[in-house]
Amino acid sequence: MAIESLPTAVLFFAGAALLIMLPQGRLRAALLLAVPVLAAWQVWTLPFGDHVQVNFFGLDLELMRVDKLSRIFALIFSLAAFLGNLYAWHVRDTVQQVSALLYAGAAIGAVFAGDLITLFFYWEGTAIASVFLIWARRTEGAYHTGMRYLIVQISSGVILLAGAVLYYRETGSLAFEHMELGSPGTWLIFIAFGIKAAFPLLHNWLQDAYPAATVTGTVILSSFTTKLAIYSLARGFAGTEILIYIGAVMTLFPIFYAVIENDLRRVLAYSLNNQLGFMVVGIGIGTELALNGTAAHAVAHILYKSLLFMSVGAVLFRTGTAKGSELGGLYKTMPLTMIFCVVGAAAISAFPLFSGFVTKSLILSASAKEHYYIIWAILLFASAGVFHHSGIKIPYFAFFAHDSGKRPKEAPLHMLLAMGLTAFLSIFIGVYPEPLYALLPYEVSYDSYTATHVITQLQLLFFSALAFTVLMRTRIYPPELRSVNLDADWSYRRLLPNIIRAVANTVSKIWAANSAFWHRTISTVISRLYNSHGPEGRIAQVWPTGSMVLWIAILLGVTLIVNFLS
Amino acid sequence: MRGNNEEHHARFFASFSLAISAVMGIAFASNMFTLFVFYEILTLSTYPLVAHKGTPEAIRGARTYLGILLGTSIGFQLLAVIWTYSITGTLDFTKGGILEGHIAGPAVAVLLALYAFGIGKAALMPFHRWLPAAMVAPTPVSALLHAVAVVKAGVFTMLKVGIYIFGIDFLAETGASEWLMWLAAYSIIAASVIAMTKDNLKARLAYSTISQLSYITLGMALATSMGALGGGMHIAMHAMGKITLFMAAGSIYVATHKTNISQMNGLGKIMPITYGAFFIGALSIIGLPPLGGSWSKWLLILGAADTGQWVMIGVLMVSSLLNVAYLLSIIGRGFFLPLPEGVPTKVTESPLLVWLPPAITAFGTLLLFFYAGVLQEFLMPIVSGY
Amino acid sequence: MSEHRTEDDSDFSAIARLFLWVDDKKKVDRFVYGLYGACALLFGADFLYHKHTYVPVENIPGFYALYGFIMCALLVIAAKGLRIILKRPEDYYAPMDVETEDYPEDQMERLNHGD
Repeated sequence: MAIESLPTAVLFFAGAALLIMLPQGRLRAALLLAVPVLAAWQVWTLPFGDHVQVNFFGLDLELMRVDKLSRIFALIFSLAAFLGNLYAWHVRDTVQQVSALLYAGAAIGAVFAGDLITLFFYWEGTAIASVFLIWARRTEGAYHTGMRYLIVQISSGVILLAGAVLYYRETGSLAFEHMELGSPGTWLIFIAFGIKAAFPLLHNWLQDAYPAATVTGTVILSSFTTKLAIYSLARGFAGTEILIYIGAVMTLFPIFYAVIENDLRRVLAYSLNNQLGFMVVGIGIGTELALNGTAAHAVAHILYKSLLFMSVGAVLFRTGTAKGSELGGLYKTMPLTMIFCVVGAAAISAFPLFSGFVTKSLILSASAKEHYYIIWAILLFASAGVFHHSGIKIPYFAFFAHDSGKRPKEAPLHMLLAMGLTAFLSIFIGVYPEPLYALLPYEVSYDSYTATHVITQLQLLFFSALAFTVLMRTRIYPPELRSVNLDADWSYRRLLPNIIRAVANTVSKIWAANSAFWHRTISTVISRLYNSHGPEGRIAQVWPTGSMVLWIAILLGVTLIVNFLS
Repeated sequence: MRGNNEEHHARFFASFSLAISAVMGIAFASNMFTLFVFYEILTLSTYPLVAHKGTPEAIRGARTYLGILLGTSIGFQLLAVIWTYSITGTLDFTKGGILEGHIAGPAVAVLLALYAFGIGKAALMPFHRWLPAAMVAPTPVSALLHAVAVVKAGVFTMLKVGIYIFGIDFLAETGASEWLMWLAAYSIIAASVIAMTKDNLKARLAYSTISQLSYITLGMALATSMGALGGGMHIAMHAMGKITLFMAAGSIYVATHKTNISQMNGLGKIMPITYGAFFIGALSIIGLPPLGGSWSKWLLILGAADTGQWVMIGVLMVSSLLNVAYLLSIIGRGFFLPLPEGVPTKVTESPLLVWLPPAITAFGTLLLFFYAGVLQEFLMPIVSGY
Repeated sequence: MSEHRTEDDSDFSAIARLFLWVDDKKKVDRFVYGLYGACALLFGADFLYHKHTYVPVENIPGFYALYGFIMCALLVIAAKGLRIILKRPEDYYAPMDVETEDYPEDQMERLNHGD
């Protein structure tokens, strides 16, 4: 079969099927690496255009729409799958291996979807496949967290389906193209994307679920779902102004939570949320520069965020905890992990020569150029904030701070390799962004390394570091504490169950009282009837005459009443 | 059956065959009277199946079963059939319906109510109690009752009445089915909510069935061709998915003698095929790709969109989520929570003939996704051509 | 962990030893002074080159420096305030989340340095 006529997603699904047949061990782990490589090669060699059309159930489905936007996302997804699987080389859990492949495949399938139905299919596919990475922790907490995650993800899917149906009825088309927000259909699609993109108030599934997944599962989870949503927003709603404000709020509020959060993987989940905000702003601005910024930032972000999750995951893998309050001083025995973590931290903080620097600036420049000054100021604040909590807090509390006395062994070789490769790419993009720029949806004529940009960025970062240092030394900085911080999920984890319980109790009490009343009444009537009419009853003793007299009496009474009334 | 060492095989299989032939009779009936007769035969022939175990509990369940089904069919359905005949002079199933021009005003809604409640097998609330009551039956019977023959006979009759007695256009013009739509929507949500509270696996599946049957009633009550088509397709999709679930439940019972979900932690590890089949069946019921159930849901949502009934779209969406909550939680528990202490973690599937059927039907739901187009062409004649 | 014998710096790899200064208060102080110096230099740099600006406020000398410092300080203080409202015990949602659970032993390789 010609490779063009095979959707890339099918490569992953076939890989998953093949995987089950292979014996557990290196062969499987190697297959897990080979599939993304093959997929990336296929995507790379495919010419632009629509490659696979099927008519299905009376619908024309477009499975492989390859253009610049979908190609860059498919490539980075393949790369992320490769790095994630390399990091998970030691995993011998079939469930996790299969779901990693299906999940990546579904995400890539969704990126290439040319119509809303195909998008919906893969959209739900990512939800189903990914929940196993959370459940695979195999604890009660992970089971409950997985259920919450699944319900949120599937609701995103059904909302997308409903939106697609309404959109179909409005326009007669199912093609997944640019949409104007306004009709019920487009709003539903927008909200469906928004759930997966972790819009404010719809975001909590992310911070809830990612820290609950397995060590390797979190790395894989962090790459796909949210970036698929970013891709979909960029495809469908570029230039939608409301996204600018949504994105700005998204960059802002997670950084406050990140400062006081103890679980370092949840800190990263908050900062992931914050980074998505930058991309959403870029989509909202919708100029060529902004969209390039979004795509570029998604690529850089997938890499450094994976890298950070990998390094914290390695710590969890060796010590059994990822909580800031339990860690510290690990640099002594895990120096390489520490260095990779610092590279990831530098990249997310957008230090010059690291990937975030050359990608985030596209979005910031776009916001300034389009005169969104307030937004620009918010993004600048969020940049400083992200340096604060991801750039400094993560490496500092895990590897330095007060010595926890833990002396774990350095991360295993395959983890170091995966981290090393990702760190290399993060630096490579930062130093030499041209290859990345060439892949972006539009022409790039942007130079990040101007004197102004480098100096202002360094000023921002150094003074943020200064603030951290001063606050640390004056002991104003809030210490890491074992705690849970309430977020919007409180509404459905506490408030809603409480309301339901209260309502259910009231209803069942009324119900019980009601049925008890009727039960009593009917029993009384029956027992009275039984007393008078039963075999032992008074009337039965003189059965024929007695009952006849009664009936005649009743009849007379009724006649009398009727007489009076008429 | 044999796996559980149960008795009275002859009576069991005789009734079983009789029930199947009654279903065939319903399927091929060309007029409402024939259908009614076979409908009653089906009720009577399945009664011994429900009471099969002979325990007081089984007898009580069977009495509820018989009482509701016979009571509604004679009390309402027969009345409706006679009424229909008296005003139209015919009971033949005719494209576009036979009632148009013979009846008008609120009487249409009343007649529809007599039919809708008279078809107790469609388990429309509040005449749904017989279904959970019949849970006492052995598992193959449950599969037959809840997934295929009996309930499908009910909703099939419902569709027949909607399409061939009333006619979709007539329903749409008079708006007579609007209350039925709301009732079906209520049934969908309420039964799902009740299903969530049930710990007994078969009871949960029974309430899930009540909810899913109302999808089909809803499809008819939407009074659009897409809705009717979706309803018709959902008969097949739900049958395949739900029979998988019931047979998987039976397989779990045969292998472990467990009936309650809270006792089923970790069983997926020792019964991977059964649980795998259950997982696929559950996904199809929820309406997720790549399984058959997604198409019928798609058509139903299209139908709801055609009538501008936003609330119905919402109901279908919420129902999907409730399905996720009460079906996939079983999978999560089965595969990912630890087995109770002392249970060896080696694969101990039920006998081949017990786990193979659900595996086959699970595969069937997958095929139905890819061959839904064939099914659609098959169903197309019922809604087109007038 | 080595509570019974004193740790020797040579226990650690060469890379780790490059960072041992962080345990020495004086050297940390020296590092912090270095940071102060770098900040001062960067602040001063604003007066030495021509800034290409898009946003009016960018022209304020040391804008990025001041903005970074002030906003980060505010961020931390605000977050600290939020903690008063939002903080709950770790088992607040237990057993419905993983917060109080140990990470399963069989999914990690808990090894110590030198194992």
